[in-house]
Amino acid sequence: MIYLDNGATSFPKPPQVVRAAEEAMVRAANPGRGGYKAAMAAAEIVFDCREQAAALFSCKPEQVVLTANCTHGLNIAIGSLFGDGSRVLISGFEHNAVTRPLYARGCKVKIAGRRLFCWEELLDSFRRELRQGVDGAVFTHVSNVFGYILPVKEMAAECRAAGVPFVLDAAQSAGSLPVDFGALGAEFIAMPGHKGLLGPQGTGLLLCGDPGKPLLFGGTGTLSREKTMPEDLPERLEAGTVNVPGAAGLAAGIRLVRSLTPEKIFARGHGQTMACGRALEEMGYRVFTGPHQAMTLSFQGKADCEEIAEALGSRGIAVRAGLHCAPLAHESAGTLEKGTVRISFGHDASPAQTNALLRVLREKPEG
Amino acid sequence: MKQYLITFRSVTYAQRGERSLGGRGISGSLSRTPKWMEQQGCGYGLTLRGANIYRAVDALRQDGVSWRRVYVLENGKYQEIAL
Repeated sequence: MIYLDNGATSFPKPPQVVRAAEEAMVRAANPGRGGYKAAMAAAEIVFDCREQAAALFSCKPEQVVLTANCTHGLNIAIGSLFGDGSRVLISGFEHNAVTRPLYARGCKVKIAGRRLFCWEELLDSFRRELRQGVDGAVFTHVSNVFGYILPVKEMAAECRAAGVPFVLDAAQSAGSLPVDFGALGAEFIAMPGHKGLLGPQGTGLLLCGDPGKPLLFGGTGTLSREKTMPEDLPERLEAGTVNVPGAAGLAAGIRLVRSLTPEKIFARGHGQTMACGRALEEMGYRVFTGPHQAMTLSFQGKADCEEIAEALGSRGIAVRAGLHCAPLAHESAGTLEKGTVRISFGHDASPAQTNALLRVLREKPEG
Repeated sequence: MKQYLITFRSVTYAQRGERSLGGRGISGSLSRTPKWMEQQGCGYGLTLRGANIYRAVDALRQDGVSWRRVYVLENGKYQEIAL
């Protein structure tokens, strides 16, 4: 199979990730729940994962909270900062993992930047909304549908200058673009562990510059007589047993990313994305590419996007079609009714993958 | 050779302490703390044998690792000490 759905999850997992997760299930018990060898081995695995993340994202290990996925982290972050009536500024390219928690909490959502790949329009609109007054901002680093890289450094600087807390959704950027927690000055940065960081499904990270409000309450292994959750991170936001095999695999994944370097991963993925986009345009497809493109692109053909994806799938090419859980992004780009076919490259992007996709599309262009 | 025990609020902070001291050549052994030391429940600590406790505590301060209490083992019993 030619796997081009890395925007959903990285697949297959690198062998060292599989080995680490498997080994953890054999030798590690519950971290922070005992002093015996297997419990301490689990604690060491979890701390190693925090250290690897801290080194990649320029923060302290205790600021790294283990979550089940990026959505989990975003829910903690949004629940910590906002409530009923909070005015929250978002971009026009957000995932449901951002919009649904905001609407569920009764926030008043303001949207800045609806034009695809246009930083100028986004920043103008973002500044205007900040001036009018908001209680916070949540924005994605990269659109999961179009691979559009948002100007997050500039948006973060605007938020800091206005004294507005913000949350970054690094679902599609962690592992392939620089994410510097200290430099951005975010209250929270949420990310999956299983996409660009190459860890197992069911893992995620929340980088915390704020103590946060727990989403779950329960055992943490320490300060057990207290009726409330501990004040200290990361345990404050980690009630219950953490995913130790997941953390082991994620630590191995982050090690691999650090050794390959996000810059080189991006260069490979971006190169294939642009090559793919040019070829698809030549073949007559409507391709959504622009000057701030990551490792993902969307396209449309004459046939229904699901039919194209199904035809590709039946010939061994894995891509995703539809709305990609991001109706707002499609609304902004004018693709809400038809949806798109999405191609997303990973750390192993290669011309062979691009050529295989194009070969199948040339043989059976519309399914 | 004196033996000290530094206690922490969580296993994560105890591990941070272990790394902080390890980076300066001060080895500590990570373990659960005796129940009587933790009025609020379970805790973790670092046992240091023959180390300069002042140097160790300075290292933790420099690295921003907060600890709860420091004990010294005397006549088979841990006594809290103020630093």
